[in-house]
Amino acid sequence: MTTAAIVIPRRRPWTGAIELLGQLVLRPAGLVGLAILLVLTALSIAPSFFVGPIQTAVTATGPRLSPPSIDFLLGTDQLGRSMLNLTVHGTRISMVIGLIATVITVLIGAVIGIVSGYVGGRLDAVLMRITDFFLVLPTFVLALILTPIIRDLVGNATAEVFGIRMTLIVIIVVIGITSWASTARIIRSQTLSIRERAFVDRARVIGAGGGHIMRRHVLPNVINLIVANAVLTFAGAVLTETTLSFVGLGDPFQPSWGQLLEAARAVGAPGLGAWWYFVPPGVGIVLVVLAFTLVGSALDDLLNPRRRRAP
Amino acid sequence: MNRSTLRARGARILMSAGLAFAAIGPATAPVAAADPLVLNAGTDQDLQVLNPFSSVVVADFEAFTLNYDTLVGWGQDLEPVPGFAESWAQDGNTWTFKIRSGMKWSDGQPATAEDAAYSIQLVLDATAKSDASADGYYLGQGYLEAYITNAGVTAVSVPDPETLVVTTEFENQLILEAYLPILPKHVWSKYSLDEIASATGATPYTNEPPVVGTGPYQAVEWKPGEFIRFARNPNYWGLQGAADEVIIHHFSSPDTMVAALKTGEIDYVRGVLADQFDALKNEPGIETVEGVSNGYSQIAFNTKGNTDGYKGSTSALTDPAFRVALAWAIDQNKLVDATLGGYGEPGTTIIPPFHTRWHVEPDASIARTFDIDKANTLLDAAGYKKDGQGRRLDKEGNPIVLRVTWPDSEAQHSTDAEFIQGWWGKLGVGVDAYVTEEGKLIEDVTPPPGGPANFDVEIWGWVGDPDPTSLLDFLRTDQIGGSSDSFYSNPEYDQLFLDQRAESDPVTRKADIAQMQQLVYRDAPYIILYYDSELHAYRTDKFTNWTIQPSVGGTPLFGYGPRGYTFLQAISAATPAPAASPDAGSTPTPSASGSGSSSSGDITPVIIGGVIIVVIVGGVLLLRRRGSVSDEE
Amino acid sequence: MGGRFLGRKAASAAITILAIILVNFLLFRLMPGSPERIILRGVPNVTEQQRVALRERWGLNDPIFPDQFVKYLGATATGDLGYSFVARGQTVAAVIGQRIGPTLLLFGLGEILAILIGLALGAYSGWKRGTAVDYVGNGISLVLYSTPYFLLGMALLLVFSTGLRWFPTFGMLTAGRIYASPLDLLADLAFHLTLPLLTVSLGLVGQYSILMRSSIVETLSEDYVTTARAMGLQDGRVLTGHALPNALLPTVSLVAINLGYVIAGAITVEVVFNWPGLGTLAVEALTARDYPVLQGVFLLLSISVVLANLLADVVYGFLDPRVRT
Repeated sequence: MTTAAIVIPRRRPWTGAIELLGQLVLRPAGLVGLAILLVLTALSIAPSFFVGPIQTAVTATGPRLSPPSIDFLLGTDQLGRSMLNLTVHGTRISMVIGLIATVITVLIGAVIGIVSGYVGGRLDAVLMRITDFFLVLPTFVLALILTPIIRDLVGNATAEVFGIRMTLIVIIVVIGITSWASTARIIRSQTLSIRERAFVDRARVIGAGGGHIMRRHVLPNVINLIVANAVLTFAGAVLTETTLSFVGLGDPFQPSWGQLLEAARAVGAPGLGAWWYFVPPGVGIVLVVLAFTLVGSALDDLLNPRRRRAP
Repeated sequence: MNRSTLRARGARILMSAGLAFAAIGPATAPVAAADPLVLNAGTDQDLQVLNPFSSVVVADFEAFTLNYDTLVGWGQDLEPVPGFAESWAQDGNTWTFKIRSGMKWSDGQPATAEDAAYSIQLVLDATAKSDASADGYYLGQGYLEAYITNAGVTAVSVPDPETLVVTTEFENQLILEAYLPILPKHVWSKYSLDEIASATGATPYTNEPPVVGTGPYQAVEWKPGEFIRFARNPNYWGLQGAADEVIIHHFSSPDTMVAALKTGEIDYVRGVLADQFDALKNEPGIETVEGVSNGYSQIAFNTKGNTDGYKGSTSALTDPAFRVALAWAIDQNKLVDATLGGYGEPGTTIIPPFHTRWHVEPDASIARTFDIDKANTLLDAAGYKKDGQGRRLDKEGNPIVLRVTWPDSEAQHSTDAEFIQGWWGKLGVGVDAYVTEEGKLIEDVTPPPGGPANFDVEIWGWVGDPDPTSLLDFLRTDQIGGSSDSFYSNPEYDQLFLDQRAESDPVTRKADIAQMQQLVYRDAPYIILYYDSELHAYRTDKFTNWTIQPSVGGTPLFGYGPRGYTFLQAISAATPAPAASPDAGSTPTPSASGSGSSSSGDITPVIIGGVIIVVIVGGVLLLRRRGSVSDEE
Repeated sequence: MGGRFLGRKAASAAITILAIILVNFLLFRLMPGSPERIILRGVPNVTEQQRVALRERWGLNDPIFPDQFVKYLGATATGDLGYSFVARGQTVAAVIGQRIGPTLLLFGLGEILAILIGLALGAYSGWKRGTAVDYVGNGISLVLYSTPYFLLGMALLLVFSTGLRWFPTFGMLTAGRIYASPLDLLADLAFHLTLPLLTVSLGLVGQYSILMRSSIVETLSEDYVTTARAMGLQDGRVLTGHALPNALLPTVSLVAINLGYVIAGAITVEVVFNWPGLGTLAVEALTARDYPVLQGVFLLLSISVVLANLLADVVYGFLDPRVRT
């Protein structure tokens, strides 16, 4: 893991963020990615504004598996629900899953990375051993096993957190705890280089404590890196949720895109030629992953032109 | 046949693929014009075992009924027909079976009454051992013993090699319905009861291919997860089917399975989905069969509620009036349409219409329809008042919120639950709907002292036998702690069960069984949601004379016994051209030898080895190159 | 290369493997539904006595530590992973053993193809940075990278198998065929392998190409490449002689690191094509809650990834002394 200099020590975050956004828009990849994200975000903030409240088996009005028509622009599923309605509401669910999983991932990754890098020594060795363990572990297989177990441990599946059913929360947590390792690695190497800088030394000399330095000096200097990393993590989280849903670990009552694909598969939609059942959620997934990857690598490029990483 | 597992009706379907574009040309013809003539069947279930005592899923039963004969077989309409025994006679508690003379096992050894006696004795020994010791002994998965136990068999004897005498405890006919394969004594007696019985540990006898049996086809090759291949048994005593080989393939994706049927890679499919079935109806060269299921999907209430240490959420669950009121608020026709795509019938009593001889409809005085108002009236009348927010309160004054759950292996019930949530909501009864992992659910529905009985309402299903006994069994008091998942307990019902079992007169027996159906309908420990159909389809270009069993509502294969396979005839005149496949170069050998020498795995290690070598050599070369480049610098 | 370096890497891998084995043990104890319930699933008329007997037979009444743990370690070390719940009477080792070959074949070949195509595409895009070729090449890579494997697989199956009927829809070999010669077998295998292999390769190509492209772009900005160009070396020679080899090293080492991520996609591809490999097995075991098999698959895959990483580290260290610190 090579380390590069971060250019911006201690700045007011807002100017930095706006400047960054400006630079991002100037890059075609960043612009396209941001545009897609803007649309998806709008859809997921107020899906009901665009397509009305989410349709259920009870409120469905359409015929069974009908192709796109004037009444149902993207056709219907086997319960007569509008695919447009489901896909748009699915945007929200998939984005929320991605968002929370990313927050968990980045939080764990950043804390471990900063502490490990700053404190160093034995703690660093132990933390990095754990990180290595999660880094090489095939996280998806671990998630396969963890999901039913955690679901059992948290008990009653109908409890809700932020309006999200427990079953989904479990998936989110599993994604979070299985994918923070690479973030921790990257943040750690950045922290290592910052620790050696003059302004950190100065702070230490005037008697600042470790916690203070990490919060006030290290964190602001790795925050951009954290953001860039978070964006890429988001894409991965959406993909993982899709795959977990696809093998049957999703929640049928909350139609994320992965869950919609799984439902389409369950009724044999591809073989029936019911393309409208799986194309919209499929396109949604590709778009969101693509957008986040574009923005993420553009950011990465801007902040850190010399560092290479796996997408 | 006792397939009455907790609906081992099919591993959840796993995956999908394959869109038949409207513009596809006519179906390409199937391969393998040359010998051997292979019948390729597809099912969504994976074969799990070849030891009949460990059989659970339909695929397991299908495999052992091809390998072995039962003592008595099932005919066109499930009537008793010659099986291992040619004829039989009953004299009170004594049955005398005449075993076919000159019959041989597939390995050429004579098949005699000794073999039949051995097979039944195996079960008697296991039962005796179980009764004598407290260590819970049973044969394999324990399904097959019930046939012998319910028939009240106490002893078997062999006066001569062609005669088998069976003594029963009480006069009854159930021995004719026993789904017990007759096994070759000269093969199986090499193994101890422990080895044959072990379902779980130690060194179980797995009955690996090639299997020795008297059935029409013998298993010769098994690739778990992929297929099981059977070769013709030239010694079979009955009709020889046209197929030289039968291969039953497992598909984890119904979409791939139906695609394979369309391309002619397989000839028969079991477990087609509703919408696929609709589409297949219009496919040329393919026939669809909608069979009536010998089973049902039900809502089971935790009828002990929160009493006696059971962990139901409300005492209302113990009240038949409450359960009946909820049953009025279920639109079963809607569920058949939405969940089954119309392929099924709304359910009424616990014996499905498949059992034409035994099924009755509920009496007019207790029959229910879908009527929310009526349900509300009934709840009011039964003393379940609403609070200010419109929530129903139980007798203790707590709002009623029922937990409705179903196993993850039956994902389709989420649709049922969603509807029920809506309908019961109109009664002021709250519904928490969630899926539960199957193993966990089994634990949840286990009653004290073994488990918590921690559920309110469970959606699941059962599948029955040619005889209705097993479907009547689950609601007996004796089954609480066993297979009962409603904890229904009614002494009248329990007595009727024993009466009908020992009843030789079909008319009296029917009266008993009818009364049992009415009792359960009236008390509603179960609400039978629907009887789902069996959807099968087959190609007509390779075999003909597909025969369904039973004549009304039956299916050609995966029925009761191997009849369907033996009736098949080849369409030899219309030998189709080979499809676009490299199969043309193959030279299949006659299969009767059952050598099972198809060497699928032979070359794989070589290829893998090659791959690894290429990777390593390639990698090293590439990197070496880099090394030398940097040296130059 | 220094023995210390090798020793440290090996020790670290060993610790990781031990941790995996420990996690495997703990997960088994946390499983939903008590184990004997799952084992007895589908057994009618089961009595309390039978359950007690089964707990006894499986040693579930012993204290978890140390009795059960020691027993588990011993069994795992000897390759005894217990019995499958579903395929009753078969050991987990036997069940898994049958599935390793097909998976190695599919993903070994898939990786090779993807590396070759991906690296070539990435290198070319990077070399032609900013041109139309770059935009198209990089665009394709990005879209492929963003597409879940199973969607790719479904699309290919739909078009080439059920649509055009060029390839079979399922399996690895035609069931029950007797082959006249190994060549016949190979042909049948290739016939079945084409679509799954294509899916795997396409799924992987995206990330390798993106990696390679950024590697090349970076390398091209290095002084020595600029110098080589300034000295009048032909562009082609600069690419193959200087830029490519230098960009290859990090990319190839990332292949091993990415192995863990590839597995998720691998699982779904196998299921789409009914490919009789470990992925299909894992999903079947998950569906049937065949925990011993699931644990076995987890153990096998995790340890392979650790070993692959160790191998990559060693090779990398062997060739690039700078990392040997």
